[in-house]
Amino acid sequence: MAKRISRRSLLAAGAGAAGVSAVSWPLELLAQSTGASRPLLTVRTAADFDLVDPAHRRGPTDGNVMRVVFQRLMTYKPNSSELELDAAAELKQSSPTTIDFKLKPGLMFTDGFGEMTADDVKFSFERIGLPPAAGAKESTYKGDWLHLVGVEVKSKYEGRIVLKQPRANIYDVVIADGSGCIVSKKAVEQRGVEFGLKPVGSGPYQVVSLDKQKGAVLKRNPEYKGARRGNFDEINVRVITDPKTTDLALRAGELDFAILSPAQAEPMRGVAGLNVSIQPSMAYVWLGMNMEKAPLTDIRVRQAIRLGLDVDQMLLAGYNGKVGRLNTALPPPVMGHWKEAPAYKRNVAEAKALLAAAGQSNLKLRLTLLNNPEFQNMALVARALLAEVGVTVEVDAQPGGTYWSSGKGDTGKNLELYISRFNAKFDPNFVLQWFTPDQIGNWNWSRWNSPEFDTLFKAANSEIDVAKRRQMVVDMQKEMDKTSAYVWLTNEASALVHKGWLKPASVPGWGDWQYADFSAS
Amino acid sequence: MVLLFALTSLVPGDPAAILLGPQATPEYSQRMINEMGLNQPIHIRLWRFFSNVLQGNLGIDIVSGKPVLKMILEVMPYTIALTFAAIVLAVLTGVPLGVYAATHRGSVLDNVLAFISVAFIAVPSFVIAIFLLLIFAIWLDWLPVLGTSRSGDWLDELRRMILPTVALALGWIGFIARLVRTSMLEVMGENYIRTSRAYGLSEGLITYKYALKNACIPTITILGLGIGRLLGGAVLIEIVFARPGLGRLIYSAISERNYPVVQGAVLVVVVIFVVVNLLVDLSYSAIDPRIRHAGATGRAGA
Repeated sequence: MAKRISRRSLLAAGAGAAGVSAVSWPLELLAQSTGASRPLLTVRTAADFDLVDPAHRRGPTDGNVMRVVFQRLMTYKPNSSELELDAAAELKQSSPTTIDFKLKPGLMFTDGFGEMTADDVKFSFERIGLPPAAGAKESTYKGDWLHLVGVEVKSKYEGRIVLKQPRANIYDVVIADGSGCIVSKKAVEQRGVEFGLKPVGSGPYQVVSLDKQKGAVLKRNPEYKGARRGNFDEINVRVITDPKTTDLALRAGELDFAILSPAQAEPMRGVAGLNVSIQPSMAYVWLGMNMEKAPLTDIRVRQAIRLGLDVDQMLLAGYNGKVGRLNTALPPPVMGHWKEAPAYKRNVAEAKALLAAAGQSNLKLRLTLLNNPEFQNMALVARALLAEVGVTVEVDAQPGGTYWSSGKGDTGKNLELYISRFNAKFDPNFVLQWFTPDQIGNWNWSRWNSPEFDTLFKAANSEIDVAKRRQMVVDMQKEMDKTSAYVWLTNEASALVHKGWLKPASVPGWGDWQYADFSAS
Repeated sequence: MVLLFALTSLVPGDPAAILLGPQATPEYSQRMINEMGLNQPIHIRLWRFFSNVLQGNLGIDIVSGKPVLKMILEVMPYTIALTFAAIVLAVLTGVPLGVYAATHRGSVLDNVLAFISVAFIAVPSFVIAIFLLLIFAIWLDWLPVLGTSRSGDWLDELRRMILPTVALALGWIGFIARLVRTSMLEVMGENYIRTSRAYGLSEGLITYKYALKNACIPTITILGLGIGRLLGGAVLIEIVFARPGLGRLIYSAISERNYPVVQGAVLVVVVIFVVVNLLVDLSYSAIDPRIRHAGATGRAGA
């Protein structure tokens, strides 16, 4: 039966009507299984668009469109963490602090904005990494171009990126990522604020329309000169915030591709014409403790809490056991992931003994978290588990607007326990940047002040030798483990739900979609 | 609006942190706070806001840099179309049902209508929406799930409006049917109705020309309030059907603490609400000559 409703979908009637629709899907499937180039791909994005502008983008929704609208000097290969040249014909690390590039000639910007030159590269990178001109808006991604001195233009196509000090991760998280997108200088200057809604790039697709709450329509860029031309004439990115609507739109055939949580996607297994696959994500979720808030200042209390929790039980409640456990900050694909990190097992007796040694009885703590179902379920299990070791937990689930401020500034001083989630990238310094001392009061919600960690972090950021850097990264994770202030939970998982004929593509981690490389199998 | 400004000061959450994300520097966060005017006392913010409003400027969206008025105007047609379609459907269905129930008081159908009406009122519109989608979009495959298209085909747009309109209207159908029934029963007991019957006028003429006209006044009052409410309050329907709209704009702006958008959009909703209710008040005298005459007498007396 084609559009079968799950047991949870409340209504049991209507099977006859669904049977009628069952006749139609094999025909649709047959029609769709022929030919490599297709007219339309419709994908869901859960969050709204803000600005498709490398300097002022906000989230993955903007980023995913940016990846097909703009070119970078280098880019990720389809479904790979390996890099390949994109707009650059040559890219060379000429010294630890300089990178020389030579553009491919004839790369044309859309809307008649002419050929891409080294001046455009200079403008694109410096508008993010250097202080803005008076009155201009500073890029929120300034940190991506940390240590940038400037871009020297040598000729029409050649230039040199100059840094104050070496950056180990400059290719992965800067040049090949959002902050490495090359915009048309002329178009930015001409369109001003409108540029983010009417972007001008040289990538395989161009923006036809971009409307808040509705989505973006992209069409193939006829002037694109690269090899990854895209397999669809038009890509329709629909903003659908509600997962249930997404579920129904997929079943009704109005969407070709969407990401859902594993629990939301589970009832869609077995729906004819749809594929569901679960993939590990590049994120990290943990339960943290504020090391500056008594009695969590005492390491024995933190150790007791870590031993009082059962991560596997929490994941079972939060994610129906559909996600893998994470034992350290870095998810496995990230360089320097600490494979041997201890997987702490629950030990009630030891936890109680530690609390007793710390002089704690009838301990009461508040657990702050975002009010999503996964975190709330995990928090309820944590409350039950910690109650057995003598810790009473008050669960404080907050909406995003409030939650994301709860560990910041002076408010953060009163935070006790929290569950948090950050997105990761392949670069370890990107992942660990929130735990440095200078992030206390900002994103270092455990208020962990470790000069050792900070020294390692800075050294790893500049270390070009891969083996040495990897060791530094492992040492940083060991330092984190010593604090007992972090109970690592999971790197989560995403469920890819798509038409059977569609082969999606993304940078591994399933968050950075490569729409131009989506293909029909 | 004063209350709104006061609330924006009290709501927890740092707007800069939410809007800018983790990569923002503290300096930039502070700059954004300054740009939104949140570093200013509330009376100065109010003064600036209304000074700008008088010049047709509802402020600038702090994220995209777009004028708030432009953002509102972009989504307004969707909201207006949905609201009026729902209200028209509710009136066209609810009024006849209410009249029928009143004229067949105590009948089986009256009781069935009472049950259905109360059920429609009680069930939230987003629940109705999900059921409608399951039945008409999935099982029967007659109508689309998504409430807007990208094709620019207005016939397709109209087709996509059917389910959201019905989902939004059902509660109002029940409400209007109950209200009309009650008003009609009251009016049908009036002396002039008895007199009309004594004159031998047909029951249809009495019901639809003389009784319904007077019984409509409470319904029109409620419709005025309803239109105002739906303009900013159809957010759940907009989310379920993935339709753009003013409610969704306000909702997401509140979640992001994007105060310029919240303030501008709420002001527009308030203005429309006031205008619609003013029109409703003015319509009373057109419908009921007694109100017109009472008004004229009152003015003359004064």
